[in-house]
Amino acid sequence: MNILLMEAGKNRMSLISLKDIYKIYNVGGEEVRALDGVNLTIKENEYLAIMGPSGSGKSTLMNMIGCLDTPTTGLYEFEGEMVNDMNDNQLASIRNRKIGFVFQTFNLLPKATAQHNVEIPLIYGNVRRDLRKSMAAAALESVGLGDRMHHKPNELSGGQRQRVAIARALVNNPSIILADEPTGNLDSKSGEEIMDIFDALYKAGNTIILVTHEDSIAKHAHRTIRLLDGKIKDDISIAA
Amino acid sequence: MFSLFLENFRISISSVLANKMRSLLTALGVVIGILAVTLMGTLISGLDKSFEKSMEFLGKDVIYIRKYEWFGDKEWWEMRNRPNIKIKHADVIRDRSQYAEYVAPISEWYTSVKRGDDDINGVRITGTTDTYAMISTAEIEKGRFFSKTENRSGSRVAIIGKDIADNLFENENALGKKFQIGNYTFRVIGELEKQGKFLGMFSLDKQIIIPIGTHRRLFTRRGWSGINVKVDGTQLDNATEELTALMRQLRHVRPTEDDNFALNRQDPFKEQYSMIKLAIGGTGFFITVLSLVVGGIGIANIMFVSVKERTREIGTRKALGATPKMILMQFLMESITICLFGGLFGLALAWGGSLIINQYFPSEMPINLALTALGLSMLVGVISGLAPSYKAAKLDPIDALRYE
Repeated sequence: MNILLMEAGKNRMSLISLKDIYKIYNVGGEEVRALDGVNLTIKENEYLAIMGPSGSGKSTLMNMIGCLDTPTTGLYEFEGEMVNDMNDNQLASIRNRKIGFVFQTFNLLPKATAQHNVEIPLIYGNVRRDLRKSMAAAALESVGLGDRMHHKPNELSGGQRQRVAIARALVNNPSIILADEPTGNLDSKSGEEIMDIFDALYKAGNTIILVTHEDSIAKHAHRTIRLLDGKIKDDISIAA
Repeated sequence: MFSLFLENFRISISSVLANKMRSLLTALGVVIGILAVTLMGTLISGLDKSFEKSMEFLGKDVIYIRKYEWFGDKEWWEMRNRPNIKIKHADVIRDRSQYAEYVAPISEWYTSVKRGDDDINGVRITGTTDTYAMISTAEIEKGRFFSKTENRSGSRVAIIGKDIADNLFENENALGKKFQIGNYTFRVIGELEKQGKFLGMFSLDKQIIIPIGTHRRLFTRRGWSGINVKVDGTQLDNATEELTALMRQLRHVRPTEDDNFALNRQDPFKEQYSMIKLAIGGTGFFITVLSLVVGGIGIANIMFVSVKERTREIGTRKALGATPKMILMQFLMESITICLFGGLFGLALAWGGSLIINQYFPSEMPINLALTALGLSMLVGVISGLAPSYKAAKLDPIDALRYE
């Protein structure tokens, strides 16, 4: 197994802790509570799915966990760092170091090769060029794209593009991988392949958080959180 | 941080190349601005050289006694009725002036010259004495000037300018050969070095110098005359004063009357020239500033479009860990790159233009100016890219990622 996927064997300690999180928007003079008192703890090497209908606060919670957004009130602790009172630069830094994003629409840079796309987080993390190249190559190897490194996104299939995106999410060796509807734009066969990769990453010790509305995808996870109207409706764990 | 700089540069280049036409049109203002400033500089440098050369021809320590003033507010018809300058006064000036070092009378007329089937029209025939050689800055390239004896005896000998030598005596040694001025046969005894054009207007090489006695005999009632006086360069004003007094006396000008002659010097040329230079410089500066401002607005506009188009890319980059400052630098770099391309393109055009200018008078593109121009175009890039880049830097990553 690739060295990048090795995080296994550690004690399961608390990685993320959300306490009394509120996110309140003011839409046309009306108060909208996108998150209405959420408490959530995520441990290391969990495989978590966040579900809920649209408008349930699912996306807001994902943005919160992904450090793209800060709560109106509440405490968010990420590996000992208090995210809730970070400024833009600190948020950018923690995203760069600790979070690997996988988007529904892949969000690759169309003009850059697969390898260069994977290098982007390392560039922002100020990693030396030669090291960066080899790390990106290793990440692409690990998702089975070692022979597609110099292809551009438009020369790759949807499934391959999403694998490039996963490699990009992995390359910084992040604490969590946050995937937002990762199979939403793929046919079922490619979708299964992508989920196989997430399964493998989980087995290798990574913490994975899926945001989805599909039960078949959520089934891969071992813990499912359902949101409704900004509140956690239920939180069900099944033994691994 | 260097790898980030390279990454930004790479993005900029690929973005500019991906939209070649758009980038070119966007940078057009900068292209024109840089073209204007560089061409203006080239033009002025060429003018400077040409002017210096022309002034060298006039000599800074020579006073030209003429009927007409070269500069001044008098109309030509006011000076038309002045009596002509008398050649014989040259001798009086030489004897009585204490500032005059050399005095040469001048008599000029334009006529055609020929040799066999070749002929040239409008050649300046200058009649003068052997002293002229001491005053003129034009060197004899081959042969010699005429002697005092040849001058006195009215020999039909001639010193020819480069244009005459090239046209009548192509590929042969002109010395000793005969040719015709009007209907009279002259023998070539000397050839002048090439002098070029006077202020880019007329050729100084289309000239023939002959003894003044000969000149007056052949072109008696035509042409004009004058006296060239070489003085000590440090005593120019004193010399002018003395010569004015002397000329007034010789020409019987009453104390209440104005001078009926002119003492011309090269200085007014310089004043006129610096005014022309100022006009060219001012016009060039105006065009440059105007086109850079308009160009800058165009670039700011296209950068706003670029930021809008790439909203999702910006969102993705932010999610992957780009700080607002990194995004700011990325777009600033792109705007600078467009301007730099425009600047380089403008410089290339200016270089071509300077070759054309060079045909008319020798000039070269000033390197310093070219570098300043490039710096200027980058400054335009910074200024016009600032607002769009700031907008990109301040985008909310969530909104940016969701942008369709």
